[in-house]
Amino acid sequence: MNKLLKNNYEVNKSSPVKLSSHHLLAIEGMQKSEIQKLLDRADYFANLDKHTDTKYLSGYVVLNVFFENSTRTRVSFELAARRLGAEVINISLINSSIKKGESLLDTASTLNAMKPDLLIVRHPHSGAPLLFAEYLSCSIINAGDGRHEHPTQALLDALTIKRRIGYLEGLKISICGDISNSRVARSNIHLLTTMGAEVRCVAPSTLMPSSLEKLGVKCFNDMKEGIKDADVVMLLRLQNERMSGTENPSEREYFNFFGLDETKLSLANPNAVIMHPGPMNRGVEIASALADDTNRSLIKTQVEMGVAIRMSIIEALNHSKNKT
Amino acid sequence: MTHTIFKSIKLINPATNFNQKVNVVIQNETIISISKDLNLEKFNKDNQTTIYDCEGLTMSPGIFDMRVNIGKTENLKFTQVTAAESGITSMAILPNQTPKLNNPSIIDHIKRQSEDINLPKVIVYGAATKDLNGLEMSEIGLMSEMGAIGFTNGNKSIKNSLVMRRLMSYAAMINRPIIQHAEDEDLSGLSQASTTSIRGEMNEGEISTRLGLIGIPACAEVIVIERDIRLAKLTGAHYHVAHVSTRDAVNIIREAKKSGLNITCDTAPPYFSLNESKLLTYNTAFKLSPPLRSEDDRLAIIEGIQDGTIDVIASDHRARSKDTKAQPFSAASVGASGIETLFSITLDLVNKKIIDINTAISFLTINPAKILGIDTPTLEEEKIADFIVFDENEPYTIKQENLKTSPTPFDGKKIHGKILATYINGQAAFMNQTFKNKIIK
Repeated sequence: MNKLLKNNYEVNKSSPVKLSSHHLLAIEGMQKSEIQKLLDRADYFANLDKHTDTKYLSGYVVLNVFFENSTRTRVSFELAARRLGAEVINISLINSSIKKGESLLDTASTLNAMKPDLLIVRHPHSGAPLLFAEYLSCSIINAGDGRHEHPTQALLDALTIKRRIGYLEGLKISICGDISNSRVARSNIHLLTTMGAEVRCVAPSTLMPSSLEKLGVKCFNDMKEGIKDADVVMLLRLQNERMSGTENPSEREYFNFFGLDETKLSLANPNAVIMHPGPMNRGVEIASALADDTNRSLIKTQVEMGVAIRMSIIEALNHSKNKT
Repeated sequence: MTHTIFKSIKLINPATNFNQKVNVVIQNETIISISKDLNLEKFNKDNQTTIYDCEGLTMSPGIFDMRVNIGKTENLKFTQVTAAESGITSMAILPNQTPKLNNPSIIDHIKRQSEDINLPKVIVYGAATKDLNGLEMSEIGLMSEMGAIGFTNGNKSIKNSLVMRRLMSYAAMINRPIIQHAEDEDLSGLSQASTTSIRGEMNEGEISTRLGLIGIPACAEVIVIERDIRLAKLTGAHYHVAHVSTRDAVNIIREAKKSGLNITCDTAPPYFSLNESKLLTYNTAFKLSPPLRSEDDRLAIIEGIQDGTIDVIASDHRARSKDTKAQPFSAASVGASGIETLFSITLDLVNKKIIDINTAISFLTINPAKILGIDTPTLEEEKIADFIVFDENEPYTIKQENLKTSPTPFDGKKIHGKILATYINGQAAFMNQTFKNKIIK
C-alpha cells in the first residue's frame, strides 16, 4: 500500500498538477491536497538544471498586467512563463489607462480581445482579480491585490520552508510586522494554517487587523513573546504607502519593538530561519547583518523559489483549463 | 358624478388605529364613504361608477419615503414615476444632488417642478451648511419659508461641534429638525479622502480582515450621535438620526428618548435585513453608507423597530449607474437603489412576525409625517384619497432585471406582498394588470 502511494506520488511530481479552478485568485478556499501537489511539482522544477528543456507551453500567451509597481514578482512570473516556452508580454498600466479614466472592465475587455491564455494581474484594489475572472475568458493569476492576497508569494514561501526544514505541519511560524496592510500575511496565514502549521502574528496594535484570531492564528503585540520558540520568523515590510501616518511613531521606535535583531531572535528556536518577501527596509524590519546571514536568512532562496512555484502554477492552470 | 368603489377591501389606517374589511368610495380627489354595508344600487345606476372587487386586498395610506437621494442616474420626474409604481405618494429628497439644494430659490424651483397633481409629492430638505461644506450655516430660515422641511448635509456628517450647535439652535427657533448622517469621518478615513488607500470601505471586523478592505468601526456612528444628543439637550432642537445601523446607536437613542429629548431616527431595509457577510464576494451592490454591519447590529435594529426606538423606515434610495458599480470594490460608488423595494422588504418584517401590519404601515406613513410636521396621512371620510392597494400575500422574487433603478441589494430575494395600485389625489398614479382585472363594472 505504502509503495503504491509512493509510486503515485512520484508520478504526480513529474506531471502537471490539476486544480479545481483554472484561476489562482486566493489561497483561502484552496484544498490542502492542491497546495501539496503544487509544492511537489515546484520542488521538481527547482531541482532541474537550468538548461533542462521544460518548454511544454509553446504558443501559450501570457499577459503580465501590473497596475502597481513591481520588479521581483513581474520578473519572476516572466522567467517562469519563458522557461515553460510561453510568450510573455509585460504591460504596465500604472500611469496609462487608469489616469485616462478608462474603467477596469474596459481595460479587461481590450486585453481579452487579444485572446491571451493567461492574465497575471497585480492591482492596488482588493478583489480586482476576481472582477477580471468574472468578465474574462482566460485564466487569471492574482499577483497581489490591495491588502487581500498574494497567493504565489505564500506558495513560494511554503516551498522555501519545505526545502529547508522538510515539512510544514506542526511548525511554529511567526509572521511579524505590518499585518494590517499585508496581502502576503493573509495568504500565508491561510496557507500555513491549512497545512497544519501553528501560526502566530506579531504586530503593534495599530497594524493588527480586527478579529485576526478568527483566521486561526494567535496574535501578539509583544514580539519577544510572539517569536518564542519559533521555527520560522517571517518579516513584513512596513507599507507606508498604505498608511495615514497615525499607525507608527517613527521607524526608530518601530525597530526598537518590532525589528528583528539578535536579542529578539535568541528567543526563537536556535535553528530558526528568517524570511522576508521583500523589498526590505534594513534597520527598520530587520537588522542589516541578520538579513545577510546566509545560515539563517532564506531571503534569497525565496526569490529563487519564486520561479519554480510560478512554473508549477502556470502549468497547472493550463492543464486545469484543458481538462475541464 | 364619477365614483370609484373599492369593494370588500381591508382598510388599514394607523392614524385611527383602524383595520377592518370595508367598502371605500371615492369621488374626485376625496373619500366620500367608508362603510361595511354598501348600497351598491345607488352607485350601479350611475354609469360613471367604477367598481373594483378587492376581496383579499388591502388598502392603506400611501408611503411617505423620508430619505431619497436623487443621483446622476435619475431626474426628479423619473424618480417620482418609479416611486408611484412602488407605492410611494410622498417623498423627501436630500440636498446633496446636482445642483445642491442650498438656497431659497432652488427649493422653490424644485417644488414648482414637481407639482404634478398625479405624481408623488416632493418634499425638500435644505442644505444645512453652504455648499454642504460643514462650515457656514446656509439660509435655513429663508429656505424654510420656501418649504424646506428640515436641514441636513445629506450623506455627509455635520462635523464641527460649534456649527452643529448653532444649526440646532437656529433650527429650533424656526421649528425645523436637523437630520444627521452620523459618522465620524476622521475615524472612518473619509476626511483623508485625497488618497483612496486609507478610506473606510465596509464594516470593520473579521470579514474586512479577510477581504483586505478597510474597516469602518461601528463606533464611528455612535460617537457623533452622542455628541449631537448633548447639543440637542443644550439647544432644545429636534434632532433626527438618519439610517441608524448599529446596536450602540440604537441603545443611546433609546436612552435619549427616555430622558424626554426630542430625538427621532430612521433606518433603511438593508440594515434590518442584511449583514456584512454579503460582502464576501466583493459584490459592490452591497457597498453602502453606513456600511452593512454585523449580525448583532442587524438584530439590534430589529429590536429598535420592535420597541419603537426607531420611528421610521425610509428607503435611503441612492441609485447608481452600472458603470460606477462594475469596479473593484474600493473604486466602486457607494449606495444602492431602494424606493422599489421599500414596501416589500418592510412587509417582510410582518411576514416574519417581527411587527404587525398596522405598525409596519405606521413606520412608512404617519411616523415620518409626524417627524417632519406634515399633516398626518389618514384615510377617513372627507379626506384626500392618497392611498395604495396591495396584496399582502402575493409571492414573488425581486429581480434586478425587473427594476428600473440599480443596484438592488435584494436581487433574488423571495418575498410576499405586492403593490397593485397607487392613488394620488383620487387618481390612479399607478395600476398594474392584476388590479385592472379586478374591475367588475
